[in-house]
Amino acid sequence: MYRMFAFMWRDFLRWTRSPINVLSTMVMPAAWLLFMGLVIPAPYPNYLDYITPGILVLTMLNAGMAGGTSIMFDKVLGYLNKFLAVPAPRESILFGKIMFITIRGLLQSTFILFIAVIAGASIMSPLAYAQMYLLLFIFGVLISSFATTISLFLPDHDSYSAFQAFLVTPMYLLSSALVKYESMPTIVYWIAKVNPMSYAIDGARMAAEGNFPALQFVVLGIVAVIMVILCSIRFRKATIR
Amino acid sequence: MIEAHGLKKDYDGNLAVKGLDLTVDNEIYGLLGPNGSGKTTTVNMLTTMLSITEGTASVCGYDVKKDAAKVRECISYVPQDMAVDARLTGRENVTLFAKLYGIRDRAERKRRVNEVLEIMNLSDRADDYTAKYSGGMRRRLELAQALVHNPRVLFLDEPTVGLDVASRRSIWEYIVKLRDSGVTIFVTTHQMDEAERYCDRVGILRKGVLMKEGKPDELTAGMDSIITIRTEGGFPSKIPDSVKQIEFKDGLALFTSPDGSASLPELVRCYEAEGIKIFSSSVREPTLEDIYMLSVGQQEEGAFDATQFRNMMRRR
Repeated sequence: MYRMFAFMWRDFLRWTRSPINVLSTMVMPAAWLLFMGLVIPAPYPNYLDYITPGILVLTMLNAGMAGGTSIMFDKVLGYLNKFLAVPAPRESILFGKIMFITIRGLLQSTFILFIAVIAGASIMSPLAYAQMYLLLFIFGVLISSFATTISLFLPDHDSYSAFQAFLVTPMYLLSSALVKYESMPTIVYWIAKVNPMSYAIDGARMAAEGNFPALQFVVLGIVAVIMVILCSIRFRKATIR
Repeated sequence: MIEAHGLKKDYDGNLAVKGLDLTVDNEIYGLLGPNGSGKTTTVNMLTTMLSITEGTASVCGYDVKKDAAKVRECISYVPQDMAVDARLTGRENVTLFAKLYGIRDRAERKRRVNEVLEIMNLSDRADDYTAKYSGGMRRRLELAQALVHNPRVLFLDEPTVGLDVASRRSIWEYIVKLRDSGVTIFVTTHQMDEAERYCDRVGILRKGVLMKEGKPDELTAGMDSIITIRTEGGFPSKIPDSVKQIEFKDGLALFTSPDGSASLPELVRCYEAEGIKIFSSSVREPTLEDIYMLSVGQQEEGAFDATQFRNMMRRR
């Protein structure tokens, strides 16, 4: 645990000293929020409240996918080699990275939530926020371990950027973020139904309505655990020859 | 401190290290060899970063295979690429490694970090971002990171690569000081002059086999002197029995002789007898570089690699 926190401490220092990185992953969700919530005519009543969970999950998705390059750069620039020779358990490098990416995403989501509230979104109960944050956390672990696994498979940064561009927007548009299931054509409906992002969004909406999103917690939890295990296996293979 | 017996590494049927035996005590041991000779593979096995295919190795008395964690606690490894976080200060870079080495007590950590920064002469720049550091300072910072937990064995991969002359010298001076304070240093390098001057013992690796091992002066002691004669192009039909011709091309002839200063005048007389005009002639004692070239020069052709040898001679 101690070593994991040391790795996180390093990543947070680096991140906070690079203002462009602090801002970049937040601009897109903020733009979506303002555009969808305030500019276009609302398709449903309280549309801002409807899309806020989706935008927050989008922020996590963005932050998680952007974090995938983190371990890749550590590897390319030789840091990973140095870290592997210290007496820290090797998993602490990986778990430190996943936790850093997830917590960074939660901080950015909080900022977006703040903008949403200023823009007119309703304030929810503390319990609803707690459940929503827990869902965002689990989704963050899921997506950051997924992104890290992919980056450990790909040969270079360029191919990762391509992968990232190809995944983020479709995953967002083909989820329940912006429209209700009943307004979706069949094919989009089924994609949105299996999209892990929808589970996080639907769960957050249920929490906002005062219902406990049990199914969403279970599904996301299981997928996140599987992702972390796959990521650990991949990390071991990539580092121990 | 470091012991290896029959160390082998097999990369999918490609044997990179072929049964290496090593014993290294409190000294500076230099592992020399061309690219691809198995140096880095050997270091990676000894630092537990690479699995051992066959054979045994122990570092600080711990088995590298069974007690990898214990080995990592008593060693430090500085890889070839300089990897210090540019957005962190020098002090933060060292503090990170103090944490990773498990120095949990805050006061103790602070004390150790200050101490190694002082040893590496970085105290006055410790709170600058390392983006502003010169190459030599970054290397010193990496040494400070490596020293923060008082390692007993230090592995250095090409410690002076890319540094200017003064920085090279200063890095080696630190390394010598560390040896004097009881640290075992295992270094890989391509810099023959540096190895000759600073290493207590060297091993020359070729295709995963240790070709020669010993103190640099002992390795060169048994070797013949090298005579160089430059002419307009002629070569005498007869040369003294005491000299051996090793190369002749474009008027440049190389010979070896057990007693160079005695053989040179005889050799010159052979040239003059046949009316070949000599531009220049010289005798010099062999260096570690000559030993190295003779040991690994045959790597590709199974014979003395004259081209490489000549290029090497022209460089001096």
